Parts: sequence; C-alpha cells; structure tokens
Amino acid sequence: MLDDERLPSSLEQAVDLLRDGPPIRDEWRSALDVQLSQQVTRRVWHVRPMHAIAACAMFVLFGGAVTATFLLSRDNARVASTAPQSMVRFDLVAPSAVRVSIVGDFNGWNAEALPMRRSGDGRTWQLDVKLPPGRYTYGFVVDGRLVRDPSAPESGSDDFGVPSSVVLVSHRGGST
Amino acid sequence: MMRRVLLLMTLAAGPLSAQLPARLGADAKASIERVVDSARARGLPTEVIIDKAREGVLKGADDLRIVAAVQSLARELGDARVLLGPSSSTALLTATASALHARIPAAELRHIIRAQDGRAYDEGRVSSALVVLVDVVAKRVPIPAATFAMAQLMERGTPEQQIQGLRAEVEQDIAGGMSPETSMRARASARLRLLDVDGQRGALIPLRSPPLPDSPV
Repeated sequence: MLDDERLPSSLEQAVDLLRDGPPIRDEWRSALDVQLSQQVTRRVWHVRPMHAIAACAMFVLFGGAVTATFLLSRDNARVASTAPQSMVRFDLVAPSAVRVSIVGDFNGWNAEALPMRRSGDGRTWQLDVKLPPGRYTYGFVVDGRLVRDPSAPESGSDDFGVPSSVVLVSHRGGST
Repeated sequence: MMRRVLLLMTLAAGPLSAQLPARLGADAKASIERVVDSARARGLPTEVIIDKAREGVLKGADDLRIVAAVQSLARELGDARVLLGPSSSTALLTATASALHARIPAAELRHIIRAQDGRAYDEGRVSSALVVLVDVVAKRVPIPAATFAMAQLMERGTPEQQIQGLRAEVEQDIAGGMSPETSMRARASARLRLLDVDGQRGALIPLRSPPLPDSPV
C-alpha cells in the first residue's frame, strides 16, 4: 500500500478492534489468575527414601558414562558438527594398481577405511567423500605405497618429510 | 542419540593405547598418551593429536619424530586456544594452530582474526583465511606480504569463496614463473578493485607494504 492511500474510516475502526483483541471482563480475568496460582501451588514434591537412594545409585553408576560422553563430544567436535557437508570427489589414474584407498585427516589416516573403486574406463580410481568445511591433508595408498594426489596442491609443512595433498572444503559448499 | 552413539564408540574403541597404531613402541605410546591426557584436561581436541600419530606411522616416520610432531601440535593447539578464547570451534582452532606451525606471528594472526569490516563475526570465513594464508606461505609468499594482503582482504569484507580462490591462482602464477610475493599482491589487489566496482571500499596493495600496525587487541 502506498503512503498516501488510506482506508475508509469504517474499515480503520474494524482494524483497530481486531488489533485490541476481544474484551475480557475484569472478574473473569481475576478468577482465571486465582485458578492458575492454585495450580502452581498444588505442585508438591513427595520425596520417598527408597527413590532417593535409587537415584543416588543411578548417579554413581552412570555418572562416569555421562562424563565420558561429555568429554568425547568435546573431543569429537569435528564428528559431531552440524555444519553442512560437501561431497568431494577424489580420483587417481592408476591403471595397473590392484588396490587403492584414500587416507587423510578425515579418516584418521586409516588405509582400510575408505577403499576407492575402479571406474568404468578401468584406469581411474574414484571415491566420493562427504566432508564438513575445513582444510584436509590426504594421500592415496596404492598397493601399500603412499602417494600424493598429482592433481591437487601439495600441503606445505609436513612433519614427516612425506608431502601430502590438500583439499579445502568451503563453508559455502564446494571444494578446491 | 548422537551421545549414545559416541558413548558406544568410546566403549568400542577402548583405552587410548588401543587407538594408537600397534607399530609404535611402548615409550612412544606412553609419551603420546601423556600429551593427549594433558590436552584433554585443557579442553583441546584430542582426535587431531591421535590422527597426527597415525599419519606419522603411515608415512613411515620413526617414533621420536612422531612424538615430537604430536608434542608440537598439542603446544600449537594450546597457543591457538589462548589466542582465540575458549569458545572457538575445532576447525578454527586447528587452522590457527597450523598458522602458528607455519611460524606466522600470533599478533598478525590476531589482526586477521579480528578484521571483520564491521560485519558479524564469521568463523568460517576466518578459518578459510587462515587456511589460505598457511598455503600461500607454504608456496614461499613471504609472511609479511601474505599477512598484510590477507588482513586487507578481511578488513574490506572479501567473500570467503574469493579468499579461497586466491590459493589456486597464486599457485598457477608461481608455476607460470611469477614470484610468489608479486602474485600474492597482484591477486589480492585485483580482489580489492572488484570490491571498489561493487561499491565497497577498496584499496590497492602497494608493491612494498608498510609493516603491520600493532594489533588493536
């Protein structure tokens, strides 16, 4: 509606009535308040000795587990993250390889965790991995030998003298 | 539900020594366990530390080198926590630790982390900036030039994807024979010019940048 357009006065009154809401008589409102306050005061806790003992025992038994869960959830913030994940395709041309897997920061450098599949051309090994945003260093294990991805940037500082590759997963989706 | 799954994973994983690669010697395992326990007590992420040990084993490093790398990472994570405060995410914490590992001074990192052009703090964008910074420094862009350019880009509100694209472009320039420093300055300046075209503030990065000002924080 433009600024200079105005509703007819009869319609404006109707709009005002709708904004104010229905009228409530004062005595009804008072009675409702009293009933609500009584509802709250009726809520009484009955503490039974056996229940209290059982609750303490449960606390002792499961307290450690709850603590461990809490600590683990802190340690695995990356795993528990609700950040949107992006599908990243890794591929490597290795026609004579028998077994190829991918290892990196995202799978604890475990050579068994993410085996790659040979594609239809019989030369290329591929795998799609869902990753949350971040920077990951990785490599391929080709028949037991670690090699870096020739098509990806090399990670700069390597603590072990064996360069890895690096993939960057964007917070806005996509990877480079 | 997630917590139940994590609890089951903990019980299945067993003690820390069982999570470490079997190839590690007893002394190395004990040293790494001490580092992990200490990190956990300080509220630092421990999974990345264990991953570092696994990476070292997979790459055939000896025990001493693996323990040294693990200790170094834990120290850098602790320094990053001090720099960022207690509420930072694991992603930003590890990105900051990587930057410290690349010998980028903490004061300059702080400057980049706080440079937000009056926008709401975007942790993802900050993480990306640090990651790209580490990668271009690894490509031999001098640290003062890299940090100055990145601070400019962050201060002027350069979008995250443009910051991420910088890495590949600098690498291409270097492969084409350009010096890393010239490439970084040229690519960063081009982005700032684009911001000018879009009606935002922008400025060219001088060929020889002045030293960074003292951090305001």
